[in-house]
Amino acid sequence: MSAAPTRTRGISRLEAMSSGAIVMIALALISGAVLAFAPQREKKPVQFWTFARMHTLMYAPLIEQWNQERPEGVDMTLFSQAALERRMMSAFMSQTAVADLIEVERANAGRAFAGPLDAVGVVDLTDRLASEGLLDQINLPSFSPWTSRGRIFGLPHDVHPVLLVYRADIVEAAGIDLSTVETWSDFFTAMRPVMADTNNDASPDRFILSLWDSHADAIECLLLQSGGRYFDDAGRPDINSERNALTIATMASWMSGPDAVTYDAMPFTASGNRLKVDGYVVADLMPDWMCNIWKNEMPQLAGKLKVMPLPAWEKGGRRTSVWGGTMLGVTKATPNFDAAWEVAKHLYTSDQLARELYKTGDIITPFRAHWSDPVFAEPDPYFCNQRKGLLYIEQAPNVPLRPSSPYNTLARDSVRDAVSDLAAFARRTKAYTPDALLPEAKRLLALAHTRVANELDRNIFLREGQ
Amino acid sequence: MTSRRRQAISASLIHALLLSTAVLILAPLAWLLISSLKTNEDFFSWIFLPLSDSGAPAWDRLTLRHFARLFGDLGFGRAMLNSVFLASATAVVATLCCAMGGFALARYAFKGKTLITVLVLSVLIVPATLLLAPTYQILYRLHLLDSFAAIILPAAAPAFGIFLFRQASLSAVPVQLMEAARIDGASELRMFFSIALPLLRPMVGTFLLITFLGTWNNFLMPQVVLQQPDKFPLATAIAQLRGVYYQDYGLLMAGTLVSVIPVLALFLMLQREFISGLTAGAVKG
Amino acid sequence: MTLSTRAAPYILLAPFLTLFVLFAAYPIAQSLFLSFQQTYGPGHARWVGVSNYLWLVRDPMFWVSVRNTTLFTLGSVFIQLPLSLALALLLNRENMRGRTIYRVIFFAPSLVGIIFVAMMFSLIFEKRTGLLNRVLHAAFGWDLDFPWLFDYSMPALILAALWMFVGFNMVYFLAALQNVRKELIEASIIDGAGPIARFRHVIVPAIIPVASFVTLLSIVGSFQLFELPWVMLRGEQHDVRSYTLVVYLYNRGFEIGDLGYASAVGWVLATILMLMAVLQRFVSRTAEDLE
Repeated sequence: MSAAPTRTRGISRLEAMSSGAIVMIALALISGAVLAFAPQREKKPVQFWTFARMHTLMYAPLIEQWNQERPEGVDMTLFSQAALERRMMSAFMSQTAVADLIEVERANAGRAFAGPLDAVGVVDLTDRLASEGLLDQINLPSFSPWTSRGRIFGLPHDVHPVLLVYRADIVEAAGIDLSTVETWSDFFTAMRPVMADTNNDASPDRFILSLWDSHADAIECLLLQSGGRYFDDAGRPDINSERNALTIATMASWMSGPDAVTYDAMPFTASGNRLKVDGYVVADLMPDWMCNIWKNEMPQLAGKLKVMPLPAWEKGGRRTSVWGGTMLGVTKATPNFDAAWEVAKHLYTSDQLARELYKTGDIITPFRAHWSDPVFAEPDPYFCNQRKGLLYIEQAPNVPLRPSSPYNTLARDSVRDAVSDLAAFARRTKAYTPDALLPEAKRLLALAHTRVANELDRNIFLREGQ
Repeated sequence: MTSRRRQAISASLIHALLLSTAVLILAPLAWLLISSLKTNEDFFSWIFLPLSDSGAPAWDRLTLRHFARLFGDLGFGRAMLNSVFLASATAVVATLCCAMGGFALARYAFKGKTLITVLVLSVLIVPATLLLAPTYQILYRLHLLDSFAAIILPAAAPAFGIFLFRQASLSAVPVQLMEAARIDGASELRMFFSIALPLLRPMVGTFLLITFLGTWNNFLMPQVVLQQPDKFPLATAIAQLRGVYYQDYGLLMAGTLVSVIPVLALFLMLQREFISGLTAGAVKG
Repeated sequence: MTLSTRAAPYILLAPFLTLFVLFAAYPIAQSLFLSFQQTYGPGHARWVGVSNYLWLVRDPMFWVSVRNTTLFTLGSVFIQLPLSLALALLLNRENMRGRTIYRVIFFAPSLVGIIFVAMMFSLIFEKRTGLLNRVLHAAFGWDLDFPWLFDYSMPALILAALWMFVGFNMVYFLAALQNVRKELIEASIIDGAGPIARFRHVIVPAIIPVASFVTLLSIVGSFQLFELPWVMLRGEQHDVRSYTLVVYLYNRGFEIGDLGYASAVGWVLATILMLMAVLQRFVSRTAEDLE
């Protein structure tokens, strides 16, 4: 609060406007003008959003061909998964601009079903799928994640069976024979030699399996394989079951203690890839689509890997599981349903795409008729020339069912948190066997169960919809 | 003698401390810069610059490939243009609104003044995120979702802005000057533009920069209200990039770098004005 | 007073007030209203009374968010602010060589938007490939796979925030140090007071008002933490480690669509911050009275 400036000072400032202000106004005007006059890319009638770069690579040739042949052209836009979910939900909830066709990952799909049935932003396809005969041609388990309250909202993109991948070079050099392995306990016993500590740094040179206590995807995958589930057929939580408790107690026993056999090599990170390339972890869960991620991100592993059916939880048990999944939905906002539906079918049902899906993306089509295509019997050099496609197809009918509860993510996260807490409990109490962990596993799952049940009971819209 | 020596030792100690802090602070930025120029193979092999066999930095191994990709098929040029427009337009509109309002609150007596002042000041402590949900609802009702206005308008009336300009007007715009101008027959609006605004110049400069930075760096609002990818500013585009090109480290670093450089440059040009304006409110209390 | 003089303030205030009412005053009222509703996006809403608040008390994830936010805030206040003050004291010498350059360097990180800082540090803290583990490994044989972003997520967050804000707060302390009267320092030197006594009796009283302001600023900022954990700790994958109050609010409101519950979380946050602000005024008043 110094003395008031004199009048002359005021006037001299009058003449020179702040340089910052000039710069800022100029920037606003220029950028505004450029934006206003920037040539608007002409939009094709059918807008299509997807979240996977791999998908864009596979669809590109089909879409290009379509655009040449048909008047209703397609524009494909790639978003990150989180961004796509955000925008999809935003559009469904508040009618903002959205694509006509939208690919939805399973992790995000449930949320689209959390509101009243009439607020689900994608078109109910149930009757159409039945009348056009598509229902019978598609692997049935593939519909389960896209079905809410008895209605089907999407065209399934995949089956996504899971096999086990391992470093054949390391395993064979260690003289290990995996052909007789039937169960997870067989597997860990057989693989034990790779964990030797030859460099005497007081920790194993390698770990057997990539798995850790917060890896929700892998935990869910193993839980489903063991026959566990989050929800019963009526959509009520079924988390505190005996089966789930035994499964997570066993997983926690793998992860903790001086004899831990798992290590965290995160997928989708360079550091995790590094651990796999270095052979620091020898085996991993491998859904069909993950083969392609590995090929692209770790080309140096070519010829060093093999896949095999997952070891079962009990003798004679299920040798596969399921991980991930995508549907294609037609949004209710589309002004041109028929054109969008034609594009959807063109993309998803053609045998050309089924081949492309496998050749470019290593993904098995859910259309059973295409399973006899010779492409699946081709030896895959990345996997020591195994006929990998057939191995996956053999397991495809056995993939476990998954419900589409809007609370699936919550259930999944709650179980993951239970596993994290259980692993921490194991470290704290030095109890490392499944038997010793079982009581705590039950207690934690009961908590998770209550958490999900409470959330579910809170939802007025879901109650109203029933 | 001894005291002088002790002083010299303490001075060099201080310099050593400051220098090492500066190195710690600059290291991540240097890493960012260098990594954005390296191939992904070199990224894994070398922490900083790749070295040739002779041990000298291998400059020829550096590449502009990542930048070419960003501005080529990934469309970062558009995102940058969006950012420039959103940030500068918000800055200009917000500064004008706040300067006019703050001046009015400081230099006029009128009905409702106390109410408005109290209302505005009480909003100062409300966390911005609380307003996210209802703001979204309002934008929805006004049909402004997925438009640039949805970013600019809510940011154009910040409570602390009017507070700053009220303080600045109280100290920088003398009442006598206004009276003199009135006697000369100047209209009230002209008085604001030709007398008050020039006198408020330092605060105008600072506040423009604060708002520019705030909008440039704002991630949450565009993430929530914008739908179409060709409207994304850099902050949203970069989060996208990470989701899709997670393993392409050089590309991520390059994307981060181009988002950071313009603001740093702007700041370096205007840093004196900026820092003094920033601390003015706090120190004068 | 002419008509124009009487109308002028309203005309001048009109643009601000319109936007302010629309995007601040009304949303505040609306958010209070919303917090008593359950919603599915902005289109569907049902009145549920205080059940959001009752649910919040029983919601384990809410308490996880409170715990994480509090931990981070404590870390910021007790680690970052003392370091900022220390830097300010080091720099507070007239005619010191390189003073401006240091000031600019220390301040620069706070200009890098927090989303970009988050991007950068999510790469810096990575196992095996991240800058920090690699440098520490090269220098001290540190574990190359040290799990910063998993088991040490809070220290990682605090470090990233430290990098970003230490210089920002330093600038405030530097400005405050200009308020220390030279005569007092000289007098204390003549009295033979050591540097520690001088710090306590001369410097501390002079900077208390600014210190309490900066503390408030840090607490408010810390409680609103969003982008850092969101990007660094996999907030979009709902990793509980990423849950701060605002991440949780965002998750509930914009991913699940329950704007009502999100508003309830927001009001709890607002109440905490208002209490902090009242406390700050109290501390600052008391300090002035003591002076």
